[in-house]
Amino acid sequence: MKGGDQMTILPVAGRARDVSGTRAPAQLARRRAWRLQRSERIAGFLFVTPISVLFVLFVGWPIIRAIYLSLTRWSGFGSPQFTGVANYTRMVQDPVAGTAFRNTIFFAVLSTVLQTVVPLIIAVLLNTVWRGLSVVLRTLLFVPGIVGFVVSGVLWKLIYDPNLGTLNTTLARIGAASLQHRWLSDPRLVMWSLLVVSLWGAVGMNMLIFFAGIQGVDHTLYEAAQVDGATAWAQFRYVTIPSLRIVTAIVISLNLMNGFKVFDLVYVMTAGGPNHASEVFGTYLYSLAFGSTAGSIPQLGYGSAFSVIVMALCSVAVLVQMLLTRMARR
Amino acid sequence: MTVGNLQAGWGATSGGRGARSASRRPRAVALRWVVAILLLAISALTIFPLVWLVLTSIRPANTVFGGSFFPSSVTLHAYATAWSSTDFGTHFLNSLMVTVATVIGVVILATLAGYAFATLRFPFKNVIYVALLVTLMMPSTSLIIPLYLQLKSFGLLNSRVGLVVLYVSSSAPFAMFLMRAFFETLPHELVQAARIDTAGEFQIFLRVILPLTRPGLATVVIFQFLSTWNEFIYANTVLQNTGRLPLQPVLFSLVGQYQTDWPTLCAGLTMSIVPVVAVYVWMQRHFVSGMTMGAVKN
Repeated sequence: MKGGDQMTILPVAGRARDVSGTRAPAQLARRRAWRLQRSERIAGFLFVTPISVLFVLFVGWPIIRAIYLSLTRWSGFGSPQFTGVANYTRMVQDPVAGTAFRNTIFFAVLSTVLQTVVPLIIAVLLNTVWRGLSVVLRTLLFVPGIVGFVVSGVLWKLIYDPNLGTLNTTLARIGAASLQHRWLSDPRLVMWSLLVVSLWGAVGMNMLIFFAGIQGVDHTLYEAAQVDGATAWAQFRYVTIPSLRIVTAIVISLNLMNGFKVFDLVYVMTAGGPNHASEVFGTYLYSLAFGSTAGSIPQLGYGSAFSVIVMALCSVAVLVQMLLTRMARR
Repeated sequence: MTVGNLQAGWGATSGGRGARSASRRPRAVALRWVVAILLLAISALTIFPLVWLVLTSIRPANTVFGGSFFPSSVTLHAYATAWSSTDFGTHFLNSLMVTVATVIGVVILATLAGYAFATLRFPFKNVIYVALLVTLMMPSTSLIIPLYLQLKSFGLLNSRVGLVVLYVSSSAPFAMFLMRAFFETLPHELVQAARIDTAGEFQIFLRVILPLTRPGLATVVIFQFLSTWNEFIYANTVLQNTGRLPLQPVLFSLVGQYQTDWPTLCAGLTMSIVPVVAVYVWMQRHFVSGMTMGAVKN
């Protein structure tokens, strides 16, 4: 029924255009065009008004407010007290902020590398096996990606449990008890343990993006390379990789942004612990503003300063993408 | 000779199309098997935690630790406990209501705006578009403080409506971006034709354009459903009243409560992912095509 509408419209339109194009006087046509344009302008504005209003109220203004609050001291009661860049100088001296900074950068960079390279390799390999198998495996690999971070965080917390968790009990069973660790309470290991869970959740989505990209590579390029006697590696290096440059740029910047803004996973699994060892900007600003861990008074001003830093880092991720895409297009 | 075989095999496989000629060569076939087994191992490892989750949820409580991987006896006792002791039904319904309301809101806003940006000409079009795109790079964590204050001043704190408003405003621009890409693939003559046929702009949008956008809409619906269902930080911050909470914050609080009762914990987690798995399985085809459209072409 819905398809019928367009089928009836098309022939009618053909006739109508004929009329206005050849027989109608030029003046009439112009007036009509002007009226159409006006209705188009009005419609355009009306169509984008709802989304724009929400944008101003819940994105635009909050950004400005976060920047303003970051220059104040405020517990949420009374009015904010303007303190200039005091929050930012405090950040430099705050050892927890230093840990959060190192952890955020570590997590963002390593998760970006892992979550780009591993899915790329899997996507390339998936493209070499039988079609039916590839479909099944793609479906399976994607499932962790649809499960939220609360569920995957809790699930992996059980797996990592030092005494009863599957990981340590399996290690004991295969005779590798020496490899057992306190995965989430050892300060040297905790960020790595979190990285594994992040990778587990991200492989499916990124693999799918790469797979779609590989499907779009011009097959004649491979044929030409084979005629020239290129090895498998050469074909991968000089055909597959260059063809996937723009896709890779997108995957890198998406991962970088997800890394900079990481919150749920860390909050659910460690809440920044043990003793701030896995603190990231997201968890620290949350505990400053809403948590009771950082003292009883909410520190909305200092917390907002971290918001501004996270926003700045995410803008960097977007710049990286623009830069990489421009390089790839060249 | 051997090198030549290997080359042909790899070339064909990475190219995809020449596979038929290559599969006749034993070397290439062997290589394919190796890759297939490797990928099977990776996939098994990936899916293992979720299988373990479901298996743990159906174990009798006294056989959780130290037993074999597959339970020797099965019980749904944990599901009954998880359902009744956490008021699971209420939170499940809250999640469903919030998610459905968000999906509807996002679809309406995103299709209207996406259509306007793709086909209509109006002043300040590019300025508004670029401003909206800023939302895409604004992580939810970084705006949580001002958004909390904003909801407070509107009297929408501790309300599910306020939560939906936050969800819609933070994700409608991305959906708009997807829909705009989709609308741009539609023939422009269609709009012009309908216009000359003197239909109003809204009529054109509703009657001519919208019926053609089913695949794009499906993608937006799936993305939005999954991400809203799984959202945690806003839900955990905005709502205080326990009866209004959606599932994610409740699941989070279960960890402390059922620290040693793993079957109950796992049963709760399993029940919470049923809707997303259902949506994924049901609309999987659209998902892949949408991904290609949204992520690769732009």
